[in-house]
Amino acid sequence: MKILHIAWKDTITRLRDRRAIIGFLLAPLVVAGLIGAAFGPAFRGERPLSDIPIFLVNEDTGEIGDIYAEVLSSPDLDGLFAVTESDDLAAARAAVESGDARAAVHIPADFSEDLLAAAQTAADVPVTVAVYTDPTASISPFIVSAVVERITLSVNTLMLSGQIGTNQALSHAALLGPALAELDSIVPQVIEAQAETAGQTSIGLTRLALGEEETDANPFSYFAPATAIFFLMFSMMDSTRSILQEETMGTLPRLITTPTPVSHILLGKIGGAFLTGILQFLVLVLASAVIFRLDWGNPLALAAVMLATVFAATSLGALISALARNETQAGILGSAITLVSAALGGTFAQASTLPAFMQPFSKMTINRWSLDAFLELTFGQADMAAIFPHLGVLLGMAAVFFFVALVLFQRRFVR
Amino acid sequence: MADPILRATGLSKRFGSQQAVKQVSFDIQPGEIFSLLGPNGAGKTTTISMLSGLLIPTEGDALIAGHSVTRQAAAVKQAIGVVPQEIALYPSISARENLAFWGRMYGLGGAHLKERIAATLEVAGLADRADDLVETFSGGMKRRINIAVGLLHQPQILFMDEPTVGNDPQSRRRILDTVKDLNRHGLAVLYTTHYMEEAEELSHRIGIIDNGELIALGTQAELTRTVGEFDTLHITVDREGDALDALCRHMEGVGEVSHCTTDNGGLLLQVKDANAALAGVVAGIAAQGARIRDIDIREPNLEAVFLHLTGRALRD
Repeated sequence: MKILHIAWKDTITRLRDRRAIIGFLLAPLVVAGLIGAAFGPAFRGERPLSDIPIFLVNEDTGEIGDIYAEVLSSPDLDGLFAVTESDDLAAARAAVESGDARAAVHIPADFSEDLLAAAQTAADVPVTVAVYTDPTASISPFIVSAVVERITLSVNTLMLSGQIGTNQALSHAALLGPALAELDSIVPQVIEAQAETAGQTSIGLTRLALGEEETDANPFSYFAPATAIFFLMFSMMDSTRSILQEETMGTLPRLITTPTPVSHILLGKIGGAFLTGILQFLVLVLASAVIFRLDWGNPLALAAVMLATVFAATSLGALISALARNETQAGILGSAITLVSAALGGTFAQASTLPAFMQPFSKMTINRWSLDAFLELTFGQADMAAIFPHLGVLLGMAAVFFFVALVLFQRRFVR
Repeated sequence: MADPILRATGLSKRFGSQQAVKQVSFDIQPGEIFSLLGPNGAGKTTTISMLSGLLIPTEGDALIAGHSVTRQAAAVKQAIGVVPQEIALYPSISARENLAFWGRMYGLGGAHLKERIAATLEVAGLADRADDLVETFSGGMKRRINIAVGLLHQPQILFMDEPTVGNDPQSRRRILDTVKDLNRHGLAVLYTTHYMEEAEELSHRIGIIDNGELIALGTQAELTRTVGEFDTLHITVDREGDALDALCRHMEGVGEVSHCTTDNGGLLLQVKDANAALAGVVAGIAAQGARIRDIDIREPNLEAVFLHLTGRALRD
C-alpha cells in the first residue's frame, strides 16, 4: 500500500508542475506535428508536385481515347505530369506497384466504339476508364484521378449533348489544359459536376489502388509514436532522477527513517515514474488520434506495447540514476543515452535506412523495438501475435534494468 | 529508575578509513530531554542516523523502546520520530498533503490520520495555512511543519537534529518552546546542537561529543562542576585573523591561563581565578602591542567545559 502512496504522491507532484506538463505532454504533440508536416511527403515517398510519373495505356482503336492522351500530354500539363505511353497494361501496373509511377491510366480497346454506340442508342452500357494508383502516395494519385475525371466529365457532357461530333469534342477537350493548372478550383468543380451529371454519365471512372493497400499513409503513424517514445525516454529519465532529487532534498533519508522498507520506497518511486509515463503516452495516443486522425490499431496490442515501453524506459531511467553519482551526472548521462537511442532507434529517420553495421546497435535500443511494434500496429494493423517478439524484448530489457537498479539502489541507501 | 527509552552501547561508525563515531554509549530516560552538544563534524548527525536506521553501525548497538536498531529496525522506526536538520518536505504539495503522506508512511490512515494531522497542525500553529503549498511558507513555518511530521505517529522518543540551524531568533524561540512543551507532555527528546545556550536551556542531561567521541556526560551542573575552579575571560582586542591567533598562542604562557582560544573576534581564556589573573592578562596583551576593547568575566558554563576538555571553543 505504501508503494502506491509513494507512486501517487510522485504522480500528483509531477502533474502540478506546469513546466513538466508542457515538457511531457504538449511538447511531444507539437514536435510530432511539426516533424510530420515537414517530412511527411518525403516520408510517404512523395515526389514534388511536378513531373508526376504516370503511364497511359491507350488501347482504344477509335478517336475518343486520344482525347485523354492529348490532354494528359498537352504542353499546359507538361510541368505537372511526365506521361509514358505504353501498350502493355501489365508493365504499367508493375511500374505503379514498384513505385516507379504514381498512376496508370487505362483506356480499353473498344472505348470509342462502345461510347458512341451508347450515345446513339441511349443504352446504359458501362464504358470505363481505369486509373491504377500507388496506395502509398496520397496526393499525386488524387491529382491524376481529378484530371482524368475532368476529361471524362467533359467528354460525357459533349457526347451526351449530341450536338457536336468527335472532332469538336477533341478541340473542346484541349481547352482543359490551362484549366488544370488551377487544381484547387477544379477539384470542387469536378465534384459538383459529378453530382449534377449523376445518372447521365456514360463513361465510368474506376480508381484502383495497386499492391498491398495501406490503410493509413498518414505520416503521423510514424512520427507520433517515434516522438512519443523519444519524449517518454526524457520524462522517464527525469522522473527516476527524482530518487536522487529526494536524496538531495532530504526527503529520501527521512523516508528511510519511517517503517517503510527501502525496497518499497524504490518501487514506489519507480511506480510513480511508470504512472507518469503511462499517462503521458495515453494523452499522446488520444490527442494524436483526434488531432492527426491517427489510427493506432488494435487497442489491446496498443496497450501492451505502451505498458512494455513505459516499463522498459522507466527501468532504464532507474538504472541510470542508480549508476550516477549525483543528480547532475544522471541528467547528463540520461540525456546522452536518450539522444543516442533516438538516433539509432528511428526517431528522426527510419531505422531501416541506417547502415548495416549500425543495425545491431539500433536493435539494442528501446526506441527501435517499441517503434517497430507501434508501426506494426499503425501501418500494418497487426494483431497481438505479431508484436509478441517486440514485447518479449522490451519486457526482457525492462526486467534486467529494473533488477540491477534495485540492487544498486539498495546498496546505496542502506549503508 | 524506569528502563531507559534509549540505550546506546558502544556505537561506532567508520566510513572507509575515517572513524566518524567511536564507542558512543549513553541512556535516555522516558520523559527526558538529552542533548548531544558538539561542534560541526563532531559525529552528532552520524550518531542520530545510526539510531534512526539511516546508517548501520559498524560496531555496537542501541535499544530503543526495547528494540535493537540493528536487528529490529522496523519496530525501532515505529517508536521514533525524526526531525532532520534540513527541511525534508515536498514543497509543491500542501502542508496537509505532506502530513497525510508522511502519516501513511507511518502506517496511519482514515479518521485517525485526519485527527493526527489536525493535532500536529495545532502544535505547529499552522492550522489556518494547512491547505497552502509548503513552497509558499516562510522558513520558520516550514521548520514547524518539519517538526509536525515527526510527531504524527505519536512516537515514544523524538530525534531532533539541529532543528534551529538557519532560523531567525523568533522561529528559534518558538522551536525551543515547542520542544519544552512536548517534553512537558512526557515525550523523550534526543536533541543535537552546537549551540551551548540551547543545550543549557532544554536539557535534563547533556553529552558532549567531539571527534566522534562522547567526552563528557551529565547534567549541566555536573558538567560545570568539572571545571568549577576555572573562570572564563572573554577579551575583545584590536587584532584579527593570524595576528589574533598569534596573540592567543602567546597568552597561553602568561600567568594562570590554562587554555586560550579565539572566539567571535576575541580571546577566550580559561583561568583559575579571573579577578586574580586579570592584571597579568591585561599586561600580557599590552606587551604584545594589542589594545583591549572589552573584557567579560564568565561563570563556568558548557563553553568552559568544552574548552577545558578539548582546548578549543565550541564553535571552532
